[in-house]
Amino acid sequence: MPTPRPALGVALAVLVLFGILPLAMMSTRLGVDPSALGLLGEPRILDLLGRTLLLGLGVVGLCLLLGVPFGYWIARTNVPGAGLWGALVWVPLCLPPLIMGMSWIEVWPHVRGAPMTIWILGLSYFPLVAAFVAKAARRVDRRQIDAAGTVGGWSAQWRMEWSLIAPAAFFGATLAFVFAINDFAVPDYVSSVGSKFNVYADEVFATWQAGQKDSRAIATALPLIAMTLGALWIALKLRRGGSLQSVGSGFQAPARMDLGPWRWLVLGGLLLILTASVFLPVGRLFYEAGLPVPIQAQTAVGQPPAAMIRPPWTLGHTWEAFQTALERCRDNLRASILLAFAAATVALPVAFLLAHAAARSRRGKWILFGSLLPLAAPAILFGIGQIVVWNHPLTQSFYTGDGLVIGMLLGRYLAFPVMALTSAIENLSPRLEEAAALVGTSPMQRMGRIVAPAVLPALAGSWTLVFVFAMRELDAAILVPAANKTVMFRLYNAVHFYRQDYVAALALVTLFVILIPGLLWTLFARRKMEVLT
Amino acid sequence: MHKINRTTRSLRRLTLWLLAASPLLTACSKDPDLVVYVSLDMEFSAPLIAEFEAETGLKVRAEYDTEASKTVGLVRRIVEEAKNPRCDVFWNNEIAQTVNLAHLGHLTPYDSPVAADIPAEFRDPDRRWTGFGARARILIVNTELVPDPSEIDSMWDLLDPKWRGQACIARPLTGTTLTHAAALYLALGNERAEEYLGAIAKGQHLEPPVVNVASSNGQTARLVREGVLAFGWTDTDDFAVAKATGAPVIAVYPDQKPGPGGEPPLGTLLIPNTVCIPKGAPHLESAKRFVDWVLSRKMEERLAFSKSAQIPVRPDVPRPDSVRSDFVHMQISYVALGQQIANRTQRMQAMFLDQ
Repeated sequence: MPTPRPALGVALAVLVLFGILPLAMMSTRLGVDPSALGLLGEPRILDLLGRTLLLGLGVVGLCLLLGVPFGYWIARTNVPGAGLWGALVWVPLCLPPLIMGMSWIEVWPHVRGAPMTIWILGLSYFPLVAAFVAKAARRVDRRQIDAAGTVGGWSAQWRMEWSLIAPAAFFGATLAFVFAINDFAVPDYVSSVGSKFNVYADEVFATWQAGQKDSRAIATALPLIAMTLGALWIALKLRRGGSLQSVGSGFQAPARMDLGPWRWLVLGGLLLILTASVFLPVGRLFYEAGLPVPIQAQTAVGQPPAAMIRPPWTLGHTWEAFQTALERCRDNLRASILLAFAAATVALPVAFLLAHAAARSRRGKWILFGSLLPLAAPAILFGIGQIVVWNHPLTQSFYTGDGLVIGMLLGRYLAFPVMALTSAIENLSPRLEEAAALVGTSPMQRMGRIVAPAVLPALAGSWTLVFVFAMRELDAAILVPAANKTVMFRLYNAVHFYRQDYVAALALVTLFVILIPGLLWTLFARRKMEVLT
Repeated sequence: MHKINRTTRSLRRLTLWLLAASPLLTACSKDPDLVVYVSLDMEFSAPLIAEFEAETGLKVRAEYDTEASKTVGLVRRIVEEAKNPRCDVFWNNEIAQTVNLAHLGHLTPYDSPVAADIPAEFRDPDRRWTGFGARARILIVNTELVPDPSEIDSMWDLLDPKWRGQACIARPLTGTTLTHAAALYLALGNERAEEYLGAIAKGQHLEPPVVNVASSNGQTARLVREGVLAFGWTDTDDFAVAKATGAPVIAVYPDQKPGPGGEPPLGTLLIPNTVCIPKGAPHLESAKRFVDWVLSRKMEERLAFSKSAQIPVRPDVPRPDSVRSDFVHMQISYVALGQQIANRTQRMQAMFLDQ
């Protein structure tokens, strides 16, 4: 069933204008000096790429190590509170990894460099593995499990299940790989003491200083773009594998395993992982919010000033810190919420149309590829591309207004809803649309009445994903004028000043705002939200 | 079926409503009287800009950089926006990138009458930029880990095997540490600067490293303040913030003594704030007014008494006792420094991102 052409044209125009054109404009600068590509063969560059690849693989390993058991336990066992742990596991993804890093450095000050980087990024992104494993584990047919168990006992059952769950686990791990290789703040921060751990993303950022050749900077970005695109392409292949593919009409949901007394041990394991990834960083922020700034003790006139003293933690001060955060940053919070809300809302119909075309047309792969491209580009390159496209006398007001921020967020994160909705629409039989067409409904009516209600959980998941990433965005935002007023911008400025109380409170408020859509859906919707698969 | 229809209708209505509302949210911005790009930390500069607005009645749109991006974000924007400029004034908290912008032809000259008493070394001979309120590159020392702080008085102390693994410098790829590294080439000559920075770069991967390489000057000050490390290079504003927390730290202004052969002391590097007007600034008259305001004696005094404790470059501007200026300055040409910064960045990348 074809996607409505005029509407698809508008959606493609949005993708091209805000996602692809900025990158295309930047790529023309490389054409001026193709010799810049020569630097990619330098041993130093290859070394950096190699260790970045190893970092990514290390994070993949840790994400699998934590995410597979976590996802399986909450989906398939009778561990107490499985639903709650399944909801909480999304929290690390909403926290900037640097904040996770700051917490863990306090706990393990002597673990630094590559091991700590892998630990932090693994804790930040293992939810991607856990969530997809949980989803896949719930879609293994009970009859298959019983048959495997009857033939070969517990180990045969697990082998059979793993073969169906593995694509989901590796899908999540591949996404974690993408985030890990593009992060340079965490490796730099955690290796501030001890052996320095440099990554390729450092090189990409540093080449954008003024006065350096643009062609060199763009050439430097190419390997990272290639690695990211390669990983995303693998992810696309994996997302339809194993039990993530559509279930048959006779599907029987698997029963939860009764662990007996072992369930308490499993609960301990879950809580340990959640403590490392959620309770510890959030708890540290809460603790810091309640620590007042040091004060000067009073001394008699003529005496030298006394040492500064730090008053103890109090709940009252925690409250004050939250009030200060809201007082100072109310406008920034409001701006962030509005911008992220608008970006997520506009992304939804655009992604819906693109995803329908991706799922139903022969050229669908190119639409998917086009939507992935902006996500694969380094943020700074993408941000500069927006300036090049939009800073003209005719578009000046748009360039300096909120519109460009929304467009930039839309262009960058359209990949997530397009992937999620493509998958959901692929699961939907085209016969439903064909039947509707036979009774004379228009293409738009079919999209609105047949397809949209059927993929509602994926629409909700897509909206939430764009909202979360839009709220967290900083790197590309530093180049777009109106993005200056976002709460992330304010947060990263304030981190510099040791006002840990109000900064911590602001981080917690931001985290809460990011979590609100997911919380509302969990509380009031009857169907599970579907994210990415 | 009836239920599905109702859901569909609600969905459509909601989508239409949201789509209709979106353009309202994307409303284009109103034109301000002045657009200022500010890399001085927002916590310090925002109240000052609000004061300027109150005094002049002009509506200012201030846009900031983050600590993490140093000046890369704003400088890059000025370069990229050159064909259709929108920035009227660039208030940079360091100098090398400003001089580089002048060198690349992105600035317009303005000889502010207010700046007549600013020493010549802080003014562009062609008047495309002017320096004021400076920070010094000092060594922050934890007095609990270094009970006799007189042991540390030179930049070379970082390389003393005695302090291996206990000293720190921010990675010199951005910000004032990059400026500092570039200044060393001018002050020491290529060979000795390479010797110094090369020793740090080569030793950064050892365990313990010869010198720890931190993510920023703020992080350096924090590590020393918390007693994780004994001492490190940072800026006076980061030191002032660390000191305000009550930590046992002191500032050492390094290289104040003559060399062993009686050579003049190397001195401590001063990095002034700079203010400039990009070429084609849309609100030129307002921009000049702002530049005059920022370069006033009153503003230097305000910055000296602020939490960032900037050092006035005019010798007779009042300052608190904690803001020192009685030290030997590193003698370098800021013009030469800025002109070399792009090449030095590449060299620092090659040295510090070596594996």
